[in-house]
Amino acid sequence: MNKNNLLFRFITYLFMAFLILPLIVIIIWSFTKIWPWPLIFPKEFGLRGWEYFLDPKNNSLGVLLYSITLSTVVTIITLIISIPAGKALGIYEFKGKKLIEILIFAPIIVPTVAVAMGVHITFLKLGLANTFLGVVLIHLPPCIPYGVRILKNVFEIIGESLELQAKVLGANSFQTFINITLPLIAPGIVSAGTMVFIVSFSQYFLNLLIGGGRVITFSMIMFPFVKSGDRMLGSVYSIVFILTTMVFLGLMEILIKKYYKSSGFY
Amino acid sequence: MKERLKPYILLIPIMAVIIGIFAFGILMGFLQSIGIFKAAGLTEITLKYYREVLGSKSFIDSLEFSLYIALVSSIISIVLGVLLAYSIYKSKIRTGMERIFNIPIVVPHMVSALLMYNILAQSGTFPRILHSFGLIKEQASFPSLLYGKNGVGIILSYMWKEIPFIAMTTYAILGNISNKLSDVARNLGANNRQVFRHILLPLIGPTVFSSFIIIFAFSFGAYEVPLLLGPTSPQTLPIKAFIEYSNPSLINRPYAMVINMILTFISIVLVWLYNKAFSLMTKYKW
Repeated sequence: MNKNNLLFRFITYLFMAFLILPLIVIIIWSFTKIWPWPLIFPKEFGLRGWEYFLDPKNNSLGVLLYSITLSTVVTIITLIISIPAGKALGIYEFKGKKLIEILIFAPIIVPTVAVAMGVHITFLKLGLANTFLGVVLIHLPPCIPYGVRILKNVFEIIGESLELQAKVLGANSFQTFINITLPLIAPGIVSAGTMVFIVSFSQYFLNLLIGGGRVITFSMIMFPFVKSGDRMLGSVYSIVFILTTMVFLGLMEILIKKYYKSSGFY
Repeated sequence: MKERLKPYILLIPIMAVIIGIFAFGILMGFLQSIGIFKAAGLTEITLKYYREVLGSKSFIDSLEFSLYIALVSSIISIVLGVLLAYSIYKSKIRTGMERIFNIPIVVPHMVSALLMYNILAQSGTFPRILHSFGLIKEQASFPSLLYGKNGVGIILSYMWKEIPFIAMTTYAILGNISNKLSDVARNLGANNRQVFRHILLPLIGPTVFSSFIIIFAFSFGAYEVPLLLGPTSPQTLPIKAFIEYSNPSLINRPYAMVINMILTFISIVLVWLYNKAFSLMTKYKW
């Protein structure tokens, strides 16, 4: 029994190493000046990669902010439409539910490549291609399944009884939503929001096609470094990428926790 | 009456997006694939593009390569992911430690491609370590794992992201299963392996299966990783479709759309399977 536990612990740590070591390597690369083959550690450390990233000439920070804004807008819109959908699917039984559910979750399975090429020409006609709004719209389908799935689970757990009680006591729909529903689903909103932000922030192909080179996102300025095998700059941009999402997650959690002190009660 | 309409009203905004963008995009792609494409002056329904694409050797190679990458990476990820979940569950490592396995969720695929490039390229960390042990003499004596037809780099990039994903979804269920079932089985004389095979596996099965569909569909339809770490030939289907699509001549568009439709068709079969898995899942409520 004990020997077995040791084996399982060994397996767990082995996977942890597979996970973490490559990340340590990019952290080292990002602070490297010279690191020739076959040295296992760099010959000289330096900040050239970070200087390049921060250099206003390259406008990387500007693109980063633009990307954050874009994904934040996507996240907000996705949440606004996913909350009622999550409620409908989580609480009510109705005709056609199954079909609607399949449609909502289908974008996880159907390649976004196909969807984007299909709508591209229509987006061009409508003047949506090559615009911020167009890219936001094309991000919605792949984000929706994550938002709805999480919120649906939350509504399944909380049910409708508290809302009905508020209504019986004379609250109108708006009051009920703000004072009862929103605090109850706040934790769900945090996890749905973070998932959606991650999905949107990581998109590359959709931005490339629908953005048409006019809408430049962070993944797009990073792609060439990875493609050309520029380890130092690729690593710097990767770290910024990961940190940005982590900061976003942290902020969202703090904000919601502060705003809804009551969120812990379900 | 109003109560009966309520769920539909709540669903209007999301359905507008799904139908207006997602379903519409697929429909437009389908129409172009059967030769209806006014912008290029095509108005006649024809299956010629399907015949041509399906009959071309390079398409079949791409289809095989895409399926190979998606299948191999998903199967390995599933097996190792479940093994990892079971190991975390059994080894009872300090709570909070398992959070480390959530990291890959915030790391985009493009970065996981870079991670594997850093490690596995002939000038990467792994060959450097081998060299320091005197196992290889020069860069070229390390086998080139990237950009090859075996797709090792692509598969490992997916595994890096997917093993933890599978492990965490599976672990969430394992952690919720009460020990009673396993204890009963043990009392009746089952050994560890039998408990896993007959108690735990059926419980986690449906979740594992639906996760399999998700990661398979993703790696089957993804664009970036094979573009970054794959060979120039054969290319995966999404890359092939985009190359046809980028052809300045609009007459070429239907070929891109045929490839997209075949991608979509295979995915729809997957959605159907996924749905089957979901209904199985509700059967195993514990």
